[in-house]
Amino acid sequence: MLNQKNILIVGLIVVVLVLGIYWTTVVDEDEVVAPTPTEDRPAVPPPAPVTPPAPPEDRTAVAPPADDDYTAMTPQALAEHLVFKASGFKLDEATQEGTTVNERQTQDGIQKACSALGSKTIDGDTAAKVNAMARESLVKPEGGITLGDWKKGQALARSGYGFRVGHRDDDHSTREPGGNCYACHQMDPNEIAFGTLGPSLTGYGKTRGTSDAILNYAYEVIYNPHSYFPCTYMPRFGHNKVLTQEQISHVMAYLFDPESPVNQEVKPLSF
Amino acid sequence: MLRRTLYILPMALALGTTASAESDKAPEDVLNELINKVDSRYLTQSEQNIMMMPDNPAYWTAEEGEELFYEARGPKNASLETCDFGKGPGVLDGAYTEMPRYFADTGKVMDLETRLIHCMTTIQGFTKDDAPVKKRHGSGSDMMKLQTFIATKSNGQPWNPPMDHPLEKAMRDAGQALFYRRAGSFDFSCKTCHSASGKRIRASVLPNINVPEEWTKAISWPAYRVGHQNVRSSQHRVRGCYWQMRQGLVKPGSDASIALISFWTDAARGQPAILPDMKR
Repeated sequence: MLNQKNILIVGLIVVVLVLGIYWTTVVDEDEVVAPTPTEDRPAVPPPAPVTPPAPPEDRTAVAPPADDDYTAMTPQALAEHLVFKASGFKLDEATQEGTTVNERQTQDGIQKACSALGSKTIDGDTAAKVNAMARESLVKPEGGITLGDWKKGQALARSGYGFRVGHRDDDHSTREPGGNCYACHQMDPNEIAFGTLGPSLTGYGKTRGTSDAILNYAYEVIYNPHSYFPCTYMPRFGHNKVLTQEQISHVMAYLFDPESPVNQEVKPLSF
Repeated sequence: MLRRTLYILPMALALGTTASAESDKAPEDVLNELINKVDSRYLTQSEQNIMMMPDNPAYWTAEEGEELFYEARGPKNASLETCDFGKGPGVLDGAYTEMPRYFADTGKVMDLETRLIHCMTTIQGFTKDDAPVKKRHGSGSDMMKLQTFIATKSNGQPWNPPMDHPLEKAMRDAGQALFYRRAGSFDFSCKTCHSASGKRIRASVLPNINVPEEWTKAISWPAYRVGHQNVRSSQHRVRGCYWQMRQGLVKPGSDASIALISFWTDAARGQPAILPDMKR
């Protein structure tokens, strides 16, 4: 065993030396070195130096693809194919909302328009389109906008339970799903484990008051934030039925109620 | 540990001052050099983990994987020494950082996990339902032991997945579309959490795909997840992200999962891999 290993090491040294000499003499330092062609792998030109992925337009001119010829599809078409056709996801699994994963993976208009941006920031046309879609689908609570119980809102803001599928599925019959606000927002100034993907909401009611206008605005942002921030990262808690109207009223109480920890002063840390 | 150094030393000598000479460094040295290069709250978020890296429990996992690799196993009583991970049969040094890649014998782009399963079924004769192939997760699984051993042979090597075959490019580009594809109850895509630096979910700092020096740590799997007390794989990370995004279960080893891994590896191109890594 030990001898075999020694042979292996010596062999490696030889291979690596040859490669190393080739590398340092033949190849420009800035170039990416092509893998050594083997019998299994047809010889191919060396890859281009590091370049960003080709834009989607590059593939649109290709003739209609065979059903499973990946190279003949646009990246978007192949991505859809991989999700829905090439057994990428367990599409028939039931979801908590009574549909299947197939519905979860299927994009609606806002998801599609915002995905199309890729790594780019939003442009005016997309913003207008997404904004209009959000406005059209806005639903106001039947009895008008009210503030519920801030303590219930606090529990909802802290809980990240709900809607997970695939393994260890969240069971909504044993535990209420939450809004998980703290994953992205600072709220209670005395809570130190808060996320920063969204803006701080500390002192929300204290600094803004409780006029109809601000209550209406906060409701609309929670229901569907794309009304104000097209292609925001924030989920559409109302539109997607993640939170009920009653739960939204509790979260709003957590933001606006003068008694809520969100509107209290920072307490000095005590140990 | 000594054996590791012996394998790596000639490589370092032969390649002299090229980027690949990094391979004689410990993973924590690779990480510390990145920390010195860029200002990143993601890379520096756990001083404790960096301190623990020399005693990373993943080293035991890798050592057990080495034994499994050279052991004659399965119905065909064969070792994995003839398995080709892309650089020739049995060549492991730097193989993982050049995956996923196209394999002519299957006609597919494969990541480390799918390639390993291919070899365990064809060379060793295991079936899909045999425990060594079926059990994909946890430090105690053969799959994680073997993956950790093989990946550790690419520590310090620059990520360099080949893009010379049309399928490799197609998968990478589809992976990019998947990365930005918003769906599910929360409207999330990978971009939601991974396109800005220094942002947090609760107390955890998130890596940014647009900063390759950050991103290389993000994709350096297998890594010991301190919070899980287990070594985890790339496939496990993909599954976990889709689960947290409230999208459906991405099937292990599916082309969707490999496309995503192709894109994320390409995004770290040129940056040194930290293997094995230790994560929160």
